[in-house]
Amino acid sequence: MSDPEAASTLEVDDHELVGQADWVIGGDAGRKGRRQAWYAGYVVFLGALAYGFPVVQAVVRTADPLALRRQLETPLAFGVLGAAVVAILWSMYAAGAYRGPVVPPLPWIDHVVSAPIDRAVTVGRWWRLALGLGVFLGGLAGLTVGAGVAFAGMTSWYAAVLVTLAGAVLGWLATSLWLAGQVRSWPGAGRSLRTMIGGRIALRELHIEVLRRHAANSSTIGGSVLAGNLRTARLQLARPVRHGRSARLRAAGPVAVVVRRDLLGLRRLPSTFWTGLGLSSLGAVVISWSVTHPVAPALAVTVGLVPAYFGFGAWAEGLRLQADNIGTPSLLGISGRSETLAHLVVPAVLALVVLGAGVAVAGVVVGHVSVSAVLLVLVLVGVLAGGHLLAAFRGSPPRSMFRADSSGPAILIGWYVLPGLAVLVLGTLGFVLARSDVTGLFWGGMFAAVLISWGLGRSQRLADEHRV
Amino acid sequence: MSTITLLRGDVHADKVGKTIDTTTLVLPTTVRAKPGQCVVLRGPNGSGKTTLLRMIGGLLEPTVGTATIGGTTADERNPSVRAAVAALIGTPTTYRDLTLIDHLVLVDSTWGGDPNTSDERGLALMARLGIDHLHDRFPHELSSGQEQLFRLALTFSRPGSVLLLDEPEQRLDTTKRVTVTELIRERARAGTTVVMACHDPEMTEALAHRVVDVAPAR
Repeated sequence: MSDPEAASTLEVDDHELVGQADWVIGGDAGRKGRRQAWYAGYVVFLGALAYGFPVVQAVVRTADPLALRRQLETPLAFGVLGAAVVAILWSMYAAGAYRGPVVPPLPWIDHVVSAPIDRAVTVGRWWRLALGLGVFLGGLAGLTVGAGVAFAGMTSWYAAVLVTLAGAVLGWLATSLWLAGQVRSWPGAGRSLRTMIGGRIALRELHIEVLRRHAANSSTIGGSVLAGNLRTARLQLARPVRHGRSARLRAAGPVAVVVRRDLLGLRRLPSTFWTGLGLSSLGAVVISWSVTHPVAPALAVTVGLVPAYFGFGAWAEGLRLQADNIGTPSLLGISGRSETLAHLVVPAVLALVVLGAGVAVAGVVVGHVSVSAVLLVLVLVGVLAGGHLLAAFRGSPPRSMFRADSSGPAILIGWYVLPGLAVLVLGTLGFVLARSDVTGLFWGGMFAAVLISWGLGRSQRLADEHRV
Repeated sequence: MSTITLLRGDVHADKVGKTIDTTTLVLPTTVRAKPGQCVVLRGPNGSGKTTLLRMIGGLLEPTVGTATIGGTTADERNPSVRAAVAALIGTPTTYRDLTLIDHLVLVDSTWGGDPNTSDERGLALMARLGIDHLHDRFPHELSSGQEQLFRLALTFSRPGSVLLLDEPEQRLDTTKRVTVTELIRERARAGTTVVMACHDPEMTEALAHRVVDVAPAR
């Protein structure tokens, strides 16, 4: 007779069970999905070859490659590179708290992940996909940059191989930290260092509620992004504010109180302030280098404008909240235009301070700061402000996007990137003109004015559209 | 500096209706109210009360008829109309990083309220609505009833010669409905024109100088 106290055991083949569940739920769809992932990778590779490689070469060829190499070998350049790597890794870790790399569909989570099967097996597919993508994209980025600079004669081909490997390693590290962020988003989850390097240990630490929450986040954010409803995506990502409850908004004049509101908002959301500062500082370093070093390629300012644009955006929450309110009964006693301009004050002043400090430090390093460099900073801040006006008041995607033909996704992407693209194109153009000729500064100023007028006009048009 | 004409609270909506493509949202309806009067719009769900309120407040263009505030075409783009109309129609978007009292101070300041007494006014209004103990909460920390009281506080905290309210009684318990009724009555007695959609017979009985039945389009 068997001992009734002894627990009975059951031998199960986890892989076999997951394979059966896979077939029951998805049939042949899983295999087709994997094939599509390979195809997507192939398309990205072709894109990097056709566009990335020539752009990197153009960046190098618009400058003196040898002088540029000397610049990039300085401790400052290494410091900036290190800061950029740390920023990437940190943002991947932080992103893991909202949407990690392991996000199976909700039915799979409820019916398969909840079963007593090794969790590393039930969610392993999504992890392998994310890890493969991370290593592939990292390696591809390294190959594009490395091969581009090698082809332009700035480095040897050995360096290109090294940069490719470094990119792949960075991709692996970033994806592992992304997973670590997801694991640690559940209170009490494993905190051991081994969960930081991904793999089966980390996957087994994933809590089912985290998987559910991330799957729901993913659907909401994905759906709202596809529908052009960025407000929903933003609110889904935003953490509820709980800091600085005792601080009060001090009453002031009609416009000054709106500026104070934005300052109080940053005080209560310190993470947005620091995110903005980090990104703007990164942009400021590259832009200052471009402005103060004749050897810098013209496209470097384009590269610097990317983090500067996102940094400005982190500080411009008030502007977006105003846009959310368009079409609702008026609560504030000032005109929409005054409110818009008031909401621009805090991000514009902060961007001016950070970019100005960057140019001042660069000036100390090279021994002088030209007046045109200072004016150029003003122009770039104006361009950034105009771009964010356009972004905040972009409204709904054009109706043509919903036509039944295949151009919808391209229209949607165009609609999303237009404000950022306007900043990059007009900012770079203004910089190039200002560098070649002092009168170019005038044109830079004109570009900034046009962009700001365009944004203000857009906000007015958006308000009018609500009346129809 | 710009000059704003202060409009009287005379509300004239003459046979205003709204049709989008082939769908009629509101049949032509006439609503007239003088300063100090309260007109209640009554009708089943979907009859178009909210749309009618939006047209009266100049937030929506009527397809037929005309709507005026103090003799001026109701158009939200006109600063004078904006200055005249205080409205709670739908859900106002709040700042997620401001507490309740901060919101009231912000609204009060933008209307030129004395900065030295702005906090006191905000807290007094919240006390009238019984939510002063929540002054340091953020909007996302409120129950649905508290949220409705906060929205009413936001609407009452700004001046206006016309007050438009879309079902102010929703989500409120009986005691709070009495409080809100009293606040609306005070505003009307002070000369504000009130036009509101309401499903509560007791509030309607207590406030309405006139009831307009809004007929469903279909």
